[in-house]
Amino acid sequence: MDVSIMAAGPWTGALLGMLGAEVIKIEPPAGDGTRWVMPTQRGMGTNFISMNVNKKDAVLDFKNPADRRLAHELAARSDIFVQNFRVGVVERLGLDWPTLQAINPRLIYCSISGFGETGPLSRAGCADPIMQAFSGFACSNGAPGEEMEAFRFTGFLDLATSSNAVQAVLAALYDREKTDRGQKVEVSMLQSAVALQFTRYAELLGAGLVPVARGSENPAFAPDRAFAAKDQAVFVTVHRPREWQALCEVLERADLIGDPRFATNHDRVANKETLNAILAPIFAARPAVWWLRALNRRNVACGIAHNFETFRFHRQIVDNEMIANTRHPDWGETSVAGVPWTFSTDACRVASAPTPDGDTAAVITELTASSSPIAAGR
Amino acid sequence: MLQGTRIIELSEGVAGPLAALRLADLGADVIKVERAEGDWMRDAEPLMANGMSAAFFALNRGKRCLALGSDPSAASELLLRLLADADAFIVDGGEAQAESLGFAEALRPNWGRNPGLVVVDVSIWGENGPMAALPGSELTVQAMAGYTRYLGSADEAPKRLGADVAGASASAFAVQAALAALYARDRRNGSRAGQQVSVSMLNALISMKSIHLAAQSDPDQYAGPRVGGAHYPPEKGWRTADRPIFFAFGGSVGEEGRPGWTDFVTEIGLDDLLKNDQLDRNGRNSTGHGSMVNAMRPAYEERFAQFSAADLVGRIRKLGANAAVYMRADETLADPQTVAMDLISEDPESRRQVLKFPARFANVQLQQRFDAPELGKDSEMIARELGFSRAEFAELQARGALAM
Repeated sequence: MDVSIMAAGPWTGALLGMLGAEVIKIEPPAGDGTRWVMPTQRGMGTNFISMNVNKKDAVLDFKNPADRRLAHELAARSDIFVQNFRVGVVERLGLDWPTLQAINPRLIYCSISGFGETGPLSRAGCADPIMQAFSGFACSNGAPGEEMEAFRFTGFLDLATSSNAVQAVLAALYDREKTDRGQKVEVSMLQSAVALQFTRYAELLGAGLVPVARGSENPAFAPDRAFAAKDQAVFVTVHRPREWQALCEVLERADLIGDPRFATNHDRVANKETLNAILAPIFAARPAVWWLRALNRRNVACGIAHNFETFRFHRQIVDNEMIANTRHPDWGETSVAGVPWTFSTDACRVASAPTPDGDTAAVITELTASSSPIAAGR
Repeated sequence: MLQGTRIIELSEGVAGPLAALRLADLGADVIKVERAEGDWMRDAEPLMANGMSAAFFALNRGKRCLALGSDPSAASELLLRLLADADAFIVDGGEAQAESLGFAEALRPNWGRNPGLVVVDVSIWGENGPMAALPGSELTVQAMAGYTRYLGSADEAPKRLGADVAGASASAFAVQAALAALYARDRRNGSRAGQQVSVSMLNALISMKSIHLAAQSDPDQYAGPRVGGAHYPPEKGWRTADRPIFFAFGGSVGEEGRPGWTDFVTEIGLDDLLKNDQLDRNGRNSTGHGSMVNAMRPAYEERFAQFSAADLVGRIRKLGANAAVYMRADETLADPQTVAMDLISEDPESRRQVLKFPARFANVQLQQRFDAPELGKDSEMIARELGFSRAEFAELQARGALAM
């Protein structure tokens, strides 16, 4: 039962749907705002199409007592409940955890917020770019010396929050097999954004290194950055000693292997500017394709940048089904995320987002057909 | 929550180790198996006061470590015993590694010695396809997944996302894979059988681009950052008297959105904007990532120069809209909201601070462990638990199966 809107909540339900759950999205009468987020495809917000795969869609007005009874009936029959209202709203709507726990003690109540459910900002609104600013995420992006730069706007922190929520929900679901009890699981965009920056926060907490903008470089390893080849940028990473040796040989600079300034990763990070000044002109002298062949042959990570047009038909993406195509009678064919896991036994699937309001009648019929005390209004 | 569950991890870097850490924080017993040269993350800068890599420590605390020796193929029986006794195996070396270390049989369905074993294969590029065996990294995955296009601009040097997003995202999918497969195995009327699940760093980043994938499928109009964003100027928020901010009016429900914007522009002396009929009345197209944002930014910034970032953010929030100051991670940690959320756990003895599991459970108080193992620290204890005598352990070391 998914009563969330926008992205962080809805994609939680979408992922659970990919895992095989039956997901019923309940929209407010005004509609999930993503239906109108640009761009649309034949009138439907593509944001809605991508975030609501694998769901049924019913509209209920929780402020209306009859609809609220239906919501309680649905909660009584559900395993997982997902909501991302602003803190304080579920109490007004009668969809708070104590109420639903009384109706269904086995329910996993997944509550997704922006800044968290406690603290001075618990009631403040949030969204992906707001949390990019608040969590430090944007301040580790940008050219060296720049204050910050935001990631232009994939809704990435929203989806990271969803993925984090699914991780926690599955832990609670597995736990329920042993305890036979549901529980409330709280996930915030703040926790999720910090979790996504795990290594940068580890450097801060463990060694006092504040994450800042470093262009394409990594504070932990060198070289691990983009170099301008003759035609385009190549992205090169060295983690292991043998990769450093191989890089030097491919660059025809075997003399650098024994150079004490660059002997270990520790040395190379400390002498990064000197190292970059030596490597940059070597990379600039030959085209990217040469470096790809020569470095991959020696097992050194090296790549070029892609975009939607170049990766959507790329065999690596296609063969692993990383993009799924859904089809809907009104808005046609849309590419969305493929399943992020491949299980050997249980097949996952991606089914088109529903027509808004399309399943209201069927859902209500099913909920009222049985002789449940809640649906009967007692 | 996972007490009594045993996880074997044979992986390096961020994705696999972070997945195993999450399971450890949920209560599982995790044994990390490393090659003789050690997880390459042990070399990551910067180092803590004790000389251990700060990132390696954070990724591997609470685990025990068994180190293979110079001839790891001789450790085959030990690895098979380890896996025969485990619930889940997180592994990132693919089929070739499994063959060379002699545990490939454990990766097949219904393995006789432990049919319930859940195997989570964490790769860089995915288990199939022409790139499956190629080397890769956080950086090269970000580039391939198109992420670097949404930072900077085409005429400047490429930038990466500073966070290790491919590794961290893949770790969450790996944890989901492990928990879902354990649930399918152990639930009432469950299968009792384990399964093999694969996740990859590239798949993680492509999946998390779902909004973009849909926006670029067959859009009705050239509107919004999901179509044109790669060609936008770098996004640096709105300058104020001191720090830059991000703000957005209009809310997220319904076609019309919520009010507040007209009050805001009036309040700060920008009421001239009300005469511009290209701007909608709820502020959706001139704030946030609305279509008029880049055109209108100078007008806002001229007025914002009279206000501090904190003042503006307070006013905007009071009107029910969203705003935040751009902060560095150290400022984020010091912010009263972050402090109230209690994201950090500190060891009273060592004073080490670590991030807690990124969710709160009503019924369970998760405990954090504060020690990460030196390479091979627990090899003997683990071998003894598996039934090898002290003499047999010494023999395994002498043969190069295990590190000395």
